[in-house]
Formats: sequence, structure tokens, C-alpha cells
Amino acid sequence: MISVLDIVELILKFVGLGLIILGGFASLISAIGFHRFRNFYLRLHATTIGTIWGCVYPLIGISLLSITLNDLGASRWFIAGASFITALIILILAPAGSHAIARAIHKSKTARVQPCIADLLDKDLCG
Amino acid sequence: MKLAELTLLVTLILSLALMLTFAYNYLAPTPEVRNLALFYLITTYNPQLPYYTVNSPEAVTAIVWDYRGLDTLFETAVFYLALIAGLALARRLYRENPVSFLSTNGGLSIIVKTVTKITSPMIIAVGASIGLHGHLTPGGGFQGGATIAVAPMVIIITFSVFYLLTRKVTTEKMLLIRSIGLIGIGLTAISVFIIGLAAGRLAFVFQNMPKANAPMGLPGQVNGVLISGTLWFFNLFEMLAVAAGFTMAFAVLMLAGKER
Repeated sequence: MISVLDIVELILKFVGLGLIILGGFASLISAIGFHRFRNFYLRLHATTIGTIWGCVYPLIGISLLSITLNDLGASRWFIAGASFITALIILILAPAGSHAIARAIHKSKTARVQPCIADLLDKDLCG
Repeated sequence: MKLAELTLLVTLILSLALMLTFAYNYLAPTPEVRNLALFYLITTYNPQLPYYTVNSPEAVTAIVWDYRGLDTLFETAVFYLALIAGLALARRLYRENPVSFLSTNGGLSIIVKTVTKITSPMIIAVGASIGLHGHLTPGGGFQGGATIAVAPMVIIITFSVFYLLTRKVTTEKMLLIRSIGLIGIGLTAISVFIIGLAAGRLAFVFQNMPKANAPMGLPGQVNGVLISGTLWFFNLFEMLAVAAGFTMAFAVLMLAGKER
């Protein structure tokens, strides 16, 4: 007989595995984008994809997956909690960091927006 | 000209290599060192050897604050003198920067400021955990203090140094905390000696656990929790001293002087 607990465990396991695979895929996309995108702001966007989709989601996946690994004993709760907290902290810190970098670069007029459709903050940097 | 520089460079490299070749016999550790390492590893936490053990599972902290504690005391003194020299260099900046006069509205955008407000207590908590668990896990007072000092560093960068100064985190107060830490380190170093004097028994400066000929010492455990005698106090005071010292140094470095 399959109990409810088994089903929950199965769901957690496959959601966790799916999140980890998604993270690997996103890291690949982020690496390609980091090399191929045309200007600084787009490349920064690609690296942020690498930190949010490639770091936060796999960490949540690890925390879900480690709950189902009964072989680890009580230490699986430590792994789950530490992964989840780390994911939360990265989720807070990474956007703030990329925002600060982008704002500083744009304010100091270091990188031009190129190709440009519209730059409402500073028209001189467009094009 | 180029040839002369090249000759100089080659001569330097070759002479260094020659020196290293001769010095290898003295630099390379001999097999006897392994016995010393084994002694440290066996005695660092071993209740069966009550007169040798430090009661600390973390061998690095045991070596730093017990086996070679006097060395670490002088390292701390060197760090203290370096900070005093830094403060002496910046001694006129305060008169040029009256805190009430300067604006505190600068700094990065509100997003970064909010994130800094959320994360800096977390940084301080992690640093305190590293410092206070220094006798159990890798880390220790210096590492914990340096981690705590990251929080004021981040605040200085995202707000400004005047944000810290108007929040009463001044260099004078940091110097006070640092002095408290150093006095604590000094008192911990002679605590067992003073206990021995009071009890009329033989005891040494920088002694931690009871030894065979000197039966005084601090307890290794309090209520079943390991504190490793003096190591916990050393880590606590070193953490205070290092955190305050680095905060002071960052604040002084970030104060701008008047344009001449």
C-alpha cells in the first residue's frame, strides 16, 4: 500500500530534481548569453539569470530533495535548512548587487546603451 | 639598457634558486615533525590524558591560543600598534569633518540600502557564531571579528561613513571596545596564574588546563558544554578587539580630508 507520506516524498523528490535540472539548463543559457549579448547591461542581465535561475532554484531543489534522502538521517534537515536559507539570502543579495553595479555604470557613463531603442534616464548614452 | 636589466633579473632568479637549493635541507620538514603533529592531534581533545589535553576538538585554535599562546598575544599587540599608527595618521580629520555639518542623505539607491539593513545583522550573527564556536569548529576570534567588521564596511559603502558616525559608532567608542577586548585577553592570559596565587599553588601565565605539577586550571566544560578553559574567553575578547579595530580602520580610511 502507498501511504500519503510516500506520495509527498515522491512529489518532493521529483520537484527537487526538476529544479536542479532547470538550474543547470539556466546556467548554460546564462553562460551563452554572457558571451553573446551585445552591451554591458544585457550581459549583466545574463549573469543575473545565472545567479537567480542557476543558484536560487537549484538550492531550493537541493533542500526539497535532501528531505527525501532517508539515508542521511537527521543531518538531512540541516542540509535542507542551510540550502533554503542560502537560497533566500542569494535571492535578496544578487539583485541588489547587480542593481548597484548597473546604476553606478550608468551614472558614471562608463558603458553606452548600444543598440538602443530608448534610454529615458540619459539620452546621451543612447546609440 | 635592456640587456643590463635582463642580466640583473636572471642573476637574481639564479641566485635565489641557488639559495633555495642549499636551504632545502633546512626548509623541508624532517620526519620528526610528524611526531609533533601526532602529539597535537592526540592531545588536543583527549579526556584520557587529563594533564596534557586542551579539551578543544579544534586543534588550530588549541595551538594558537594554548600551545603557542604567547606568540598570538604579541600578534594581537602588533595589530593594535598598527591601528594606533593609522589613527595617529588621521588625527586631524575629525576637526575638518564636523559630523553635524555634513549631509547623511548620500549613498547608493534605496534598494541597496534596504538590502544592507536586512543583511548586516545577519553578517554580525554569522561573525559572532564563527568567533564563539572557535574552540569547536574551524574559525576563531580573529576570523569572527573580521566577519563582523564586514557589516560596518558594507554600511560605509552603501550609506556613507557619516551614517555610521551619526549612529554613534565613532572611532572613540571602537577604541574603547578594542581596549576592553585587549584587557580581557591580558586578564585571561594571567587568570590561572592569579587563581594559583590566591590558592597558594604553583600555576603559570598562559596556563589553561591543570598540569601534573601545577594542579590549577579553568574548567574544560561548564554544565556539560565544552568551553575549553581559557580558549572561549580568548576567542570572545579577540573577536571584540578585531571587530572594533577593523571598524575603526575602515571609518578612518573613508574620512576625506579638506582640499588644500
